[in-house]
Amino acid sequence: MKDVIVFVQHKNGQTPKVTFEMATEARKLADQLGGKAHAVVVGAGSSQLADQLKSYPLDVIYINDDADVDGFLLDPIVDYLEAAAKGVGPSLVLIPNTLLGKDVAGRLVARLGAGLGADVTGFTIENGKVDCISPKMGGAAITTCALKPSDYGIATVRPNAFAAAPGGAGAAITPLEKPAGKTYAVKVEKDVEEGSGEIALEEAATVVSGGRGLGGPEAFETLLKPLAHALGGAVGASRAAADAGWVPYSLQIGQTGKTVSPNLYIAVGISGAIQHKVGMRSSGTIVAINKDGQSAIAEFSDLTVVGDAFQIVPELTKLIEAAKA
Amino acid sequence: MKIVVTVKLVPDPNAEKRIDPGTKRLVRTGVETVLNPYDEYALEAALQLKERIGGDTTVTVFTMAPESLKETLRKALAMGADDAVLLSDAGLEGSDVWATSYAMSRALKEIGFDLLLVGGLSDDGSTGATPGALAEYLGLPCITNARKVDVVDGGLQVERETDNGYQIVHGKLPSLLTTALTFGEPRYASLKGIMGAKKKPIAAMTLAQLGLDQPVGTAGSKTELLNVAPPPVRGKGQVVEATDGTNGAKVIFDFLKEKKLV
Repeated sequence: MKDVIVFVQHKNGQTPKVTFEMATEARKLADQLGGKAHAVVVGAGSSQLADQLKSYPLDVIYINDDADVDGFLLDPIVDYLEAAAKGVGPSLVLIPNTLLGKDVAGRLVARLGAGLGADVTGFTIENGKVDCISPKMGGAAITTCALKPSDYGIATVRPNAFAAAPGGAGAAITPLEKPAGKTYAVKVEKDVEEGSGEIALEEAATVVSGGRGLGGPEAFETLLKPLAHALGGAVGASRAAADAGWVPYSLQIGQTGKTVSPNLYIAVGISGAIQHKVGMRSSGTIVAINKDGQSAIAEFSDLTVVGDAFQIVPELTKLIEAAKA
Repeated sequence: MKIVVTVKLVPDPNAEKRIDPGTKRLVRTGVETVLNPYDEYALEAALQLKERIGGDTTVTVFTMAPESLKETLRKALAMGADDAVLLSDAGLEGSDVWATSYAMSRALKEIGFDLLLVGGLSDDGSTGATPGALAEYLGLPCITNARKVDVVDGGLQVERETDNGYQIVHGKLPSLLTTALTFGEPRYASLKGIMGAKKKPIAAMTLAQLGLDQPVGTAGSKTELLNVAPPPVRGKGQVVEATDGTNGAKVIFDFLKEKKLV
């Protein structure tokens, strides 16, 4: 492993924040490995996104606007990445730890015969050897896993774990040739985007989350959304709230839902069962609003305010709005 | 149609887990081993397909685990799988994603199938990468995060979750499918199912039967686990009783201000 390659996940040129976090980290890793930092952007909208990526400290951005990337499931992306990795030579491939990223990473493990560091929140490099730091078992353990010396290594990178900082002299944008003689097995008939315009939960710097204590779906709209908007964050929920049908499952944080690590997590009416805890325990600061001071959430919150959320949250939203004005 | 479902046996996800700082291992005391919850959804999908397709459709459960965990596998049989295959071998211990998927792919080739169903994630390792690697080694199309699956004209129509919404995709058989948690709650094993599971066959398989070209286990893996540490201690913070809404809001606001979060 010498160079670093970033897989840029996007849809029509729209990419999650983790792309810029990886581009920034790729530079640091490449410098330590004595190699170059590359990015691979394929599918509709690649050219415009590559222009945006130029302001990050990469050396080369490989692009192809190939429509097949969007027309077929996964296979074209894997083919392009394999071709890019083999073209670049021994390298560490960084992939976002998203649904798509996990799929891509698994396929590349086999294609490149590579080791995988999963859900990585930190790297250490010594004498060209790459170690990956990852939380496991819902954050109950922090593991350090070495990628054994080999031509290729892969890491899926946790969103919000690395800082993004523009810089560099501007990368060269180079077309990536379409791998020849490939067939694609799974055709995408329909691709529907939901919840656009909202900040993705995994990416949000602040998450305001609600649980059973809110008593119904209305409070998510009337209490949590305004607070989340005031803080520039996203709304999440506990499993109890999702199971009750108050919010879609896509908002569920916890063991069977999403894992988030925002700077600030505000838990409203959430008891703090292990199911929920494992999805948010690595947050920077945790604030709980709960009518029971003895609930489990108080055990791992930095501040627990015991009181009526229906009274506290609107007042808090006002204070924050006033401070911003 | 022969459906194979791969399952993993993991420490109970609902148990509070703790790493012993001395041994750097999971404290197993009081932590039961259970079917990986994500795999129960894959099994549910297989059982639903079997009910819908009917005929001579069978559901086989495959796992890679120590022989001592054989009885944990009965739960899958009790839910309705017809039989099971257990690949056990000391040589598999410490296998990473690469080694696991490589060994599994060879075992699954031996078993044979028309459709392979896999859980989306394991609750303990949680790389989420094994299904993709497995599909590569088996040379199969891979459709992940399915929330709805239909067999239409000998092909597959799948509604699948994506990072920003959902997709409807068309694939073919054989394929590898993974299920999303939105697929639908896995069924409970009935009393009849539990009784019947005792008589269902669990075939044993070892590495020697697979004739692997490369070593697996700790030695063959492409990664090496160097350290397991407990997470930074997250102590109990302040607990403040709010006198009213305004007071509660002020307490939080002042705290956020002090932390420079507003």
